[in-house]
Amino acid sequence: MAYLTQPDYVKYICSCGQLKPITSLYFCRHCLKIRCGFCICHEVDSHYCANCLENMPSSEARLKKNRCSSCFDCPSCFHTLSTRATLAQPRQAAQDAAAGGDTKVENKQPKKMYYLSCFNCRWTSRDVGIPDQPVASGGWPERTNPFTTRMNQLLDYYKAIAQQEKQEKLERERKKFAIRGKYITLTDKTGLTGAMARNIAGLPSSDGGSSSAIANFVASQASEDVDELPEDIYTKEVNLKQITSMAQRLASPEWQPATVSRLHPLAKLLSVKRSQRCRACDHNLTKPEYNPGSIKFKIELLAYYHVPEVKVISFETIKPGEKSALLIKLTNPTGHEMQVRLLQPEDLPQPEEREEPKSIEKSLEKSLNLEKEPLPETVPDKPSGVRVPASSRVCPPSMTLSLPQRDDAAEYDDDAHHDTDDVILWRKSNKIALRLEVVTESTVASGVPANALLALEYSYRNTVPPPPTAGGTLAGTTPAPRDHTLYTTVLLDLGVVSG
Amino acid sequence: MAHNNIKILPGATVCEDCTLEGDITIGGGTVIHPRVTIIAEGGPIIIAEYCIIEEYSTIIHKKSDKQENPPKPLFIGAHNVFEVGCRLEAPCGHIGESNVFECRSFVGVDIKIGSGCVIGAACHLTAPQTLIDNTVIWGSEHHIREALEKQPSQLLQLDFLSKVMPNYHRLRKPNVHKRQPSRQSQDSSPKP
Repeated sequence: MAYLTQPDYVKYICSCGQLKPITSLYFCRHCLKIRCGFCICHEVDSHYCANCLENMPSSEARLKKNRCSSCFDCPSCFHTLSTRATLAQPRQAAQDAAAGGDTKVENKQPKKMYYLSCFNCRWTSRDVGIPDQPVASGGWPERTNPFTTRMNQLLDYYKAIAQQEKQEKLERERKKFAIRGKYITLTDKTGLTGAMARNIAGLPSSDGGSSSAIANFVASQASEDVDELPEDIYTKEVNLKQITSMAQRLASPEWQPATVSRLHPLAKLLSVKRSQRCRACDHNLTKPEYNPGSIKFKIELLAYYHVPEVKVISFETIKPGEKSALLIKLTNPTGHEMQVRLLQPEDLPQPEEREEPKSIEKSLEKSLNLEKEPLPETVPDKPSGVRVPASSRVCPPSMTLSLPQRDDAAEYDDDAHHDTDDVILWRKSNKIALRLEVVTESTVASGVPANALLALEYSYRNTVPPPPTAGGTLAGTTPAPRDHTLYTTVLLDLGVVSG
Repeated sequence: MAHNNIKILPGATVCEDCTLEGDITIGGGTVIHPRVTIIAEGGPIIIAEYCIIEEYSTIIHKKSDKQENPPKPLFIGAHNVFEVGCRLEAPCGHIGESNVFECRSFVGVDIKIGSGCVIGAACHLTAPQTLIDNTVIWGSEHHIREALEKQPSQLLQLDFLSKVMPNYHRLRKPNVHKRQPSRQSQDSSPKP
């Protein structure tokens, strides 16, 4: 819970330079690097309805406009609507009386009728005059979009354009690689291209595919004549309860109801299950289980399970030019013993050149290019993150700490290690608490946020079976060292510098 | 308010473990859960039939400076539901029928409530106002809308509660009987 409700006191520097809490980071076991949501590929695995948990293939989802056919959201407050049952004797009788009254005898039994109701704002489908339904799910009247024909026209038009562009691209591609004949063609000689020739002949600019959809398309025209405002627009008292809010109107863009009485249940939007993939090595980082009811993952390479976690226990107030004590806790989440050394961020070795084989690099050139665009809130200096502005420095002890593996049964043991000294505050199974010193420069102004950088060197045992060395693509990693020494940098939030 | 004058009409289910102070009349069919606080310090409180008052809800008839003599009663209509932890403070006033006071809602003084209103969960009404019939207030931003019809009554729930409650809680016994010459027969026409 603390991760959800509290601010992020400890942020890790991702290999792309982003600052993120450990819970929103991934760890690629193949590149041995921390990845975040900005530097990985997101893929849609499956579409499902979050309410009825129905799974839907993506083609069907597209056909249904990414909406569930049986679940609805409240048009008033956007909460999910529930189906409620009533016994509708009088209503039925009234209808029969209107129809002539022949069937009155048969319908003596009260019949179960269903309506939709919102438990949050108490909106019901009866409020807007939608008749109750005899079946519990489905069968709700669907309103037709008043602009269906125009929408279809537009869709056809853009489909045709997309088609044409694809065609043109293919053609261009073909032309590029087409082997020139020995002989100079007529067009080459005269400088006349096919398109120009067609133009001269008065034919449409390109042949074949440019369908009637494009030719017959009429663009929208803005018009100046609009309906006059009603006479009483300035004099009539406004009843805000009758008028829909902006959010309510935009929730159904087809109708944009202006009054509350025109609100109509909204078909529930589908959710997707995503899987994430490392851009550098194309391995999956997370892959959810296919079943929409399950919240488990088949693959779940989260940093939380692989990277030592740093938590701030407490700290003395940071004052300019003074030393303050800082208590932190380190946790080893892995199943192997971990050697941890605290370092100054400058002491980190410069990240070596990417050792990924060139072939993969090339194939992913496109997606890697995305990464190079400026991203918000990045650390200006690349991965080592030395230049993160920090007001204070942590003085790390020059010792290597050994963290035992995670052991769920250990909390029932009561023999605690007692190798405490002036740095180690306490030890408890895979956790260790440290007492560190933070030095703040005297030039730091009071009132600014105080923070400190801390670099970690940790040993990591890779449990991935070594990749088959066939082809020798992974040239640099042939001996496949199972134990790696990895580095990460964390930014600790230490409140504000006091005066 | 030194003396308590609690009148419980037959058919009402009132748990023993609740705080009732002052002059309070509880109508038949009403269910009062344990840990409810009802304080009539500014005048009598009359609760009509078939109300549900859930745990930790508080109803206070506040004392005010400009009090009439004899004090006006706080009349709470039939079929009202006070959900867990709600709080109603009214120096004098009238609560209609079939209202729902959702969990942890707060209704301050000087608020008149019609019938069929819903005060949403955690909604706080403090400014003087009048809620017309079928007003629904919901959400942290206190959206207001008007429902078409009254909230459906909770008779099934009432039936269930009045059956189950005696199995698990000590109850206060009804102390007013059907034929009583006094005034509560006009107050809240008890149903036998």
